[in-house]
Amino acid sequence: MQQLIQVIISGLLAGGIYSLISVGLTLTFGVVGIVNFAHGEFLMLAMYFSYWTFTLLNLDPYQSLLINMVLMALLAVVVFKTVFQRVLSADHSIQTILTLGLSMLLQNFALMIWKADYRNVRIPINNATLNLGGIILSLPKVIAFLIAIGMSVALYIFLQKTYTGVAMRAISQNMKSAQLMGIELKKTYLLAFVIGVVLVGVAGSLLIPIYPAYPTVGNSFCLLAFIVVVIGGLSSVPGAIFGGLLVGVVESLAGYFIGPAYQQAAYFVIFMIVLLVKPTGLFGKSTT
Amino acid sequence: MVKKLLHKQNSVLWIIAILLIFVPLLSKSSYFQDIAILTFLWAGLASSWNLYCGYCSRTSIGHAAFMGIGAYTSTLLYQNFGLSPWIGMFAGVLISMLFALILGGATLRLKGTFFVLATIAFGEIIRITVVTQENLTGGSKGLIIPFKPSFGNMIFSDKISYAVLTWIYMLIVILISCKLEHSKFGYYLIAVGENTGAAESLGVDATRTMTLAYLLSAAFTSIGGTLFAQYYMFIEPDSVMAGSVSNNFILISIIGGLGTAFGPFVGSLIITPLSNLLRGYLSFISGLHGFIFSLILMVVILFKPSGLLPQIIAFVKSKNRKEG
Repeated sequence: MQQLIQVIISGLLAGGIYSLISVGLTLTFGVVGIVNFAHGEFLMLAMYFSYWTFTLLNLDPYQSLLINMVLMALLAVVVFKTVFQRVLSADHSIQTILTLGLSMLLQNFALMIWKADYRNVRIPINNATLNLGGIILSLPKVIAFLIAIGMSVALYIFLQKTYTGVAMRAISQNMKSAQLMGIELKKTYLLAFVIGVVLVGVAGSLLIPIYPAYPTVGNSFCLLAFIVVVIGGLSSVPGAIFGGLLVGVVESLAGYFIGPAYQQAAYFVIFMIVLLVKPTGLFGKSTT
Repeated sequence: MVKKLLHKQNSVLWIIAILLIFVPLLSKSSYFQDIAILTFLWAGLASSWNLYCGYCSRTSIGHAAFMGIGAYTSTLLYQNFGLSPWIGMFAGVLISMLFALILGGATLRLKGTFFVLATIAFGEIIRITVVTQENLTGGSKGLIIPFKPSFGNMIFSDKISYAVLTWIYMLIVILISCKLEHSKFGYYLIAVGENTGAAESLGVDATRTMTLAYLLSAAFTSIGGTLFAQYYMFIEPDSVMAGSVSNNFILISIIGGLGTAFGPFVGSLIITPLSNLLRGYLSFISGLHGFIFSLILMVVILFKPSGLLPQIIAFVKSKNRKEG
């Protein structure tokens, strides 16, 4: 029984980070309307940023968190203005292929300048553990979980209570009406995208003590983020939070009961089921 | 006379496509023959992808799964039962079509983005299955086809036979695309792709049209997979069903021109030789090759989303008008 609790809690901890990675994606899709297939690459770049600030400036990932956020914000602005802004009203296929191309571009860029070696940040906290009544928890994972959930909830509050946040929700519900209400689309799009990327950046900083950085590390996390977002409901932040935790737990349970090789298959199956039964997701709206 | 021919653009393209077989036939270099074979093969594969995704304005990123299914089916049947790949190829087609039917039934009616995600999930599920079921499929280690050249085994000791084979494959898929473009079915497909609701309101059975096109596309992608396996004599999940393979279909079709019969052909003509030559010259910096191609893809999709074929045609037409 205790083992089962251990497995579930491990899953929840992982799920916290999945949630953080996914809320950015769901925000971008909900507000800007573009599915960003390069989302995983922003995670990858954030992990590398953290790694390099650690290697060159001797700051551990938690200390360099703010620097990382600023760098990611700058990157987001550049990418949005050069790439995304041109295709805001273009066909879905074009947006898809463009972000796909961006994803390949960033992966190859990382490969070119940083090579394919796995980069790890070795700090004392790597192997620290907490003992909660017999359950062993990895400290970096606990910290990651707390910060991740904290930021996701902060985002939710931002969307509910601030004018800009409500404006974003308005746009995601009905773009034309939002414009009629006097909401400036372009600025809000940019802000939504930047917030999304910054959050993924934070996830990268939280992840680097636990997981190595390499050019294609974004792939599996990106896929996972998409699954979480579909399960939770596109453009629903609570959905992404819940979905992330759910996927984390399912993955952990699948690994424990069926075997590690089938972990990925487990959440793909759930993904397909949700797509077939309720494509708008558990928390999503039924209309578009 | 050239002017008259240009008015029938497709005729010129057909002539080019047919005459291209002389490149490998007359070339003394095995390297260039290899490039020709790959150009034909990828043109055929991308054209197969284009049959559904181009004409119906959808994006399927997991399409390589069908290529993998074709490759693995014919190879496994050959290895375990000695079944000729010619027949194994059709078995692969049947299995691919079965998967396409099941997957399609569930996902073809989903809105754009959801369909894309479903195809990714499908591609991944197939890939994970192949990798984990090592006993059956050889897993990540891949499968080797023993070299026993004979027509019945679809294994040839000379490159020219492979060139002819892949050339015929490419021509067949292009022919089907041409026929599709001018058929009622083709018009329905394009209509459904542009605006499903409007097409249905005019009486088009969208589901049936899309499903048939999807099956057709899966079938020919599968054949390409078998040919790939027979040429390389070795397949592994990364070479026949990875995301990068699907991305190649998309890259080639976009560069040439999505939703046109000769678009993927032109795309492959530009990309495949360039890619192989660059890979050789740029291998000293890993990633540079992929970086350049992603950049090309992004530039083309941003500034010339209808591809380079229409540009080339327009260019040639305007030159002739000036001189004429």
